[in-house]
Amino acid sequence: MAAHDVMPDIELFQPITVEDASAIAARLDGAGWILAGGQDTYGWLKDRAKHPGAMIDLAAIEGINGINATASGISIGAMTTLRDVMRDPLIAEKFPILTQAAGRVASPQIRNQGTLGGNVAQDTRCWYYRRGLSCYRAGGNICYADSPEGMNREHALFGASRCVAVSPSDTATALVAVDATMVIHREGREKRVPAEQFFIGPAINITHMTVLRPGDILTHVEIPNTWANTESYFEKVADRDVWDFALVSIAAVMKTSGGVIDDARIVCGAVECVPRRLRSVEQALRGKPRNEQTADAVAGLASGGARTLNHNQFKVPLMENLVRRALRT
Amino acid sequence: MEIVTVREDVWGREVLLGVSWDWLWVILALTFAAIVVHLLIMAVLRKQPRPSAAGKRLTRHDNFDRSFHWIMAISTLVLLFTGVLPIIGYDFNWLTIHWIAGLVLTGAVLLHVIRAVFFQDFGSMVVAPKDLKEPFEKGRKPGKYSLAQKGMHHAMTLLVLVVIGTGLVLFLQIDTPWWDRPNSLAESTLGWMFVLHGVSTLGLVGLTALHVYFALRPEKRFYTRSMISGWISEDEFSANHDPARWMPDETARS
Repeated sequence: MAAHDVMPDIELFQPITVEDASAIAARLDGAGWILAGGQDTYGWLKDRAKHPGAMIDLAAIEGINGINATASGISIGAMTTLRDVMRDPLIAEKFPILTQAAGRVASPQIRNQGTLGGNVAQDTRCWYYRRGLSCYRAGGNICYADSPEGMNREHALFGASRCVAVSPSDTATALVAVDATMVIHREGREKRVPAEQFFIGPAINITHMTVLRPGDILTHVEIPNTWANTESYFEKVADRDVWDFALVSIAAVMKTSGGVIDDARIVCGAVECVPRRLRSVEQALRGKPRNEQTADAVAGLASGGARTLNHNQFKVPLMENLVRRALRT
Repeated sequence: MEIVTVREDVWGREVLLGVSWDWLWVILALTFAAIVVHLLIMAVLRKQPRPSAAGKRLTRHDNFDRSFHWIMAISTLVLLFTGVLPIIGYDFNWLTIHWIAGLVLTGAVLLHVIRAVFFQDFGSMVVAPKDLKEPFEKGRKPGKYSLAQKGMHHAMTLLVLVVIGTGLVLFLQIDTPWWDRPNSLAESTLGWMFVLHGVSTLGLVGLTALHVYFALRPEKRFYTRSMISGWISEDEFSANHDPARWMPDETARS
């Protein structure tokens, strides 16, 4: 195994426009690693598990940093730090669920450096994969986490097509819940992808967590006003309160009138390779009062279709309990 | 360019992953070159008068065989597209479509083998010593199938059997409605399965492209028609086949 002595040689590019960054990425043809806050990147480099020849640092690009009110909602630059997202009064007023989700990411130090774009585009934390094993996700033929001896306490309950890794992003669940749109710069053009379709599971592509491809740059996250100022709930359960990834998280937004739920979007994190919409729960909620009885009645729907692994059975009641907690007033 | 992809794991051991998919472009380029060369040769050669499709119709393929052929053809194309497109960067939910098409192909091949061996003239597809004289003796005509058709069929058979055999082993490793993925095969065994599955897939890409090309060639189109409607004309028969080696039935329609 390689010694963890010094940083490997990496060519560094620091473009000041998205167009330049994209052109460099295109020229490097997949060999250029897009660097945002670096909180995912440096782990890979430190472990010598990935070896990018060149790095394209987005920090100097001005137009993709900051939070702005738009006619239809809020636009957040992908390079906006999680700290800024967490402390922004506009987001706190309209979408407190995102404030809470950003505030539960890792630790204050990481939130100061880590970006919203980096948080949603980060790679999975499956330790077999991160350790550099040649698993399916790394282009190999096997899932070590899903082997009879695999340690899979944190892994998927749903959608495990060969690979059982889960999405580690806390903000992703909130962004899917509020129906955000990801704005991607691709080959000189702007491509807009609903957050729900931005994340992809292993059945679609086993080596990628998102639709981002070499040369793509996530520039903004736009949140429409559709779910602004609605009732919401976010909770993340992890082994530790700080600096840990979710065992299960939940992000819920609800439109209510007179205590009755008219519409809802409920999303679970860390149970699938993508943030999982609980559509059966959402459907069952419509027209029901937001109370304990409704919560008990629909909670069981959340885990329908779950396939547990050797060590993650606890996630099933955890999911159901989080749904209950989200629906209690 | 490597033939297979190998990766070193964290313990420094080499892990066999599968065939190197750079070969896909080599196979496509070679196939394209072969087609271009054939087109040039055929353009230079003097055009032979084409036999008429009019007149009495003789049965070349019955309904059963035609159905099998098209089921196998469609399932093979679905398998090739669902297998290769994700490799070259088109993302979609391919695996379920792939294994369903694989099961269809397996069933069709199995029935075809049983029918060909026990209920049909199996010898008509076997390459006999006298077939080998075909390319060298002008005017020598084949029985039901020419040496080229037999060669294509045998190459296809070999590749399809390998792709089915390895595909079934890999199929046992994934989630299906009938069982949960066991994840039980050793990594090295899986590596070999992927190598064989990949090599046979590459071969099938080339052969399928050539097969489609020849099916569309003007002088061979009557064979394609016979695979759709079942018949060839008496004129086409006598121009291309030796009645001493194959005598087809006359169809009811003419």
